[in-house]
Amino acid sequence: MKMEEMPLSSPDNTKLEALMHDIYSELVEDACLGLCFEVHRAVKQGYFFLGEPDQESMKEFEIVDQPGVDIFGQVFNQWKNKECECPNCNRLIAASRFAPHLEKCLGMGRNSSRIASRRLARNNMSKSESDQEDNDDLNDNDWSYGAEKKAKKRRSDKVF
Amino acid sequence: MNKEARLKATINQKLTETGERERLKELLRAKLTECGWKDQMKAQCKEVIKEKGLEHVTVEDLVVEITPKGRALVPDSVKKELLQRIRAFLTQHAS
Repeated sequence: MKMEEMPLSSPDNTKLEALMHDIYSELVEDACLGLCFEVHRAVKQGYFFLGEPDQESMKEFEIVDQPGVDIFGQVFNQWKNKECECPNCNRLIAASRFAPHLEKCLGMGRNSSRIASRRLARNNMSKSESDQEDNDDLNDNDWSYGAEKKAKKRRSDKVF
Repeated sequence: MNKEARLKATINQKLTETGERERLKELLRAKLTECGWKDQMKAQCKEVIKEKGLEHVTVEDLVVEITPKGRALVPDSVKKELLQRIRAFLTQHAS
């Protein structure tokens, strides 16, 4: 027999059942009163409606739906055509090419040391410089799809 | 009549002494929040506040409106669980 189905001893059954419901009612009323006090205090202290959106903020943060502009109202490709002056070589570089250029220019980042050491090796072996420029341009695409693919593959291999 | 009153008094005392009353209160509060009862009741409170006005609403206003609704809206599952625990306590302590 499950605990909840076990009847209380017969003669006192109704009395205990009644008592049980009394206690339950008391507890529920306590919970209700507690809530009323909580709400009343929140109202009088001024924080009851604090969590709700007000008209001003709703207007301020409304989603923008205009052409050429993102949902915050900002022009999203305004940096596309901008140019930056490299602090190292003082050349004007396109914004999207700026980071990789800095890497090479300042001699930091993974590839710049690789290229530098490869250049050294090639200079030691032969004097032909014609291929160098092409290779550099290829290596410039740090963020090309091919490089990502390699990195992704390695990561998934590690998982298994 | 006397016997009943004595029994009730004894049980109430034991509920307090053993800490069971506090545990039951906490259990009820947690369950009521979990099932969304509290949010429902808060929405009801908002109605009362709008009706009486933010500045003038009293605890009494809220109690009068909320308590009957609150009692009625307790989900059956929560009620069952509470009654179960109370029954268990009574079975144990009502010798």
